[in-house]
Amino acid sequence: MAELVLGRESPEGPVAVNAWLARHGVSGGDAEAVRREAARLSVYRGLVRGRLREAVEIAIPRTRTRLGALFDEYFARYLAERGPRSHYLRDVTTEFLEFVAPLVAGDPRVPPWALDLARHEALDIFVGSLADAPKAGVLPELDPDRGLAFSATARVARYAFAVHRLSEDPGDTSEPESSPTALFVYRSPEHDVRYLEVTPLAAVLLERLLSGETLREALEHATRELGVPLDGAVLDGAARVLSDLAERGAVVGAREGGSTTVRT
Amino acid sequence: MSERRIRGVGLGLRWEFLEEVLDGPALDIAFFEVSPENYMRRGGYYPAALERIGERYPIVTHGLTLSLGSADDPDPSFVRDLSVELDRLDTPWHSDHLSFTSAGETVLHELFPLPFDEASVRRVSDRVRRLTDELRRPVALENITYYAHFGARTMSEAEFISRVVESSGAPLLLDVNNVYVNAQNFGFDPRRHLAELPLDRVIEVHVAGHAKQASGLILDNHGTPVASPVFELLEWTLERTGPVPVLLERDNDVPELAALLEEIRALRTVYERAVGCSKKAETGAHASA
Repeated sequence: MAELVLGRESPEGPVAVNAWLARHGVSGGDAEAVRREAARLSVYRGLVRGRLREAVEIAIPRTRTRLGALFDEYFARYLAERGPRSHYLRDVTTEFLEFVAPLVAGDPRVPPWALDLARHEALDIFVGSLADAPKAGVLPELDPDRGLAFSATARVARYAFAVHRLSEDPGDTSEPESSPTALFVYRSPEHDVRYLEVTPLAAVLLERLLSGETLREALEHATRELGVPLDGAVLDGAARVLSDLAERGAVVGAREGGSTTVRT
Repeated sequence: MSERRIRGVGLGLRWEFLEEVLDGPALDIAFFEVSPENYMRRGGYYPAALERIGERYPIVTHGLTLSLGSADDPDPSFVRDLSVELDRLDTPWHSDHLSFTSAGETVLHELFPLPFDEASVRRVSDRVRRLTDELRRPVALENITYYAHFGARTMSEAEFISRVVESSGAPLLLDVNNVYVNAQNFGFDPRRHLAELPLDRVIEVHVAGHAKQASGLILDNHGTPVASPVFELLEWTLERTGPVPVLLERDNDVPELAALLEEIRALRTVYERAVGCSKKAETGAHASA
């Protein structure tokens, strides 16, 4: 059935009933029943595809507008080759993007910013629905040998294009500028998804802390990766960023137990 | 779970008017019905809002993706998550559709009809009995709208529904709009069909709107007000079932809440008139577990 409603259109028509019946060995009365109402099978094809498409278009409307027919092509390919696996309609966009990511990377017709924009748009529903009870923000005394606990919704999003600066207008078709971008994303205690543009150094520091490193490890990794000295200015800057995130409810305390070291 | 009764006319809770329900005065609505898939295994605004609404109104759950008629059993992790959510919402029963919504690993997010045959009766009945234990509450079965048959039928739809209800011990969630739409699309008498169903097993009734396509096919689109013939079928049904709860479903082109409340008032008039006529008025809808 998935093949009939999600598969590509065939020369036999949108619902390739005879081929499907043959492939699946359906015969006799069952085959006759299906053939008799073959025209109405297309109703199901329309219902299923319409519902799934609507779920994705709601999540990434600006990507849809900008890509037009290319979006249609890749969405049809997703339906035909993979299809939704989750019980939750809100997951369909994530599944779609996971499927197309390796495909669009090699397709010169797809603008290089398209996946960045789609991933950025999808964060609203993805982060907005992550399972995590709201907690009060708490900045513990900063101990270099301990990590920090973040809201489970917190993450760093990285893009090669400044997609976060595009207009929210769904009809806008302008293209984002090429500019390495890092956003700290989290859901506030009031359930709003927030995006903070962070410096390259803060981005690495936060990624390291989110991965479970101690503050010392995270600072050492971040400064080494960016080629800057670990000095008083860096320490003061880190303290300010973390204090701000605690006020926002994104840092919720000290990390318990040992750290998870990430080697570079 | 203690025995609880829900009577009167309820409304399917939709995000379009969620804030009005949350922040507004108490509404004359007997209960709200929600699809747990929209609230479970997630955090954020909507589950928090639903928790607050549950403090003010009874909540009943109506699922979309258990796929009771699939060849394969539901994913055990999904059933566990569903069980947690039903406990959280403290629903007296859970309902889902007499259909399949998954094919292999693919979740189609649409209701597909089952062949009306003995194999389907056995498969659904076995599954519903197990789910009733796993979910620790009655699992009601809803008759669906269908537009085609995906296999040979060896019994009528009414016989199929009756057999599943009898064999599984499950209550019936009777959607009278679905009966009307199927009757129009396949040319049968809806009252005769209703009379053949086990109306003494009805735990809840659904009504919704439908729309006629250019092809003549009527779609159960939940996007228009309830049609007059469906009001008539509702009254006929309630006269026979007694005061079971009635739910207004509106999923598409959702109007202002005020318009839905007006429709609920009209449904309540029918409800009270029918239940006044009912010989089963003292029975009521209930569930105990």
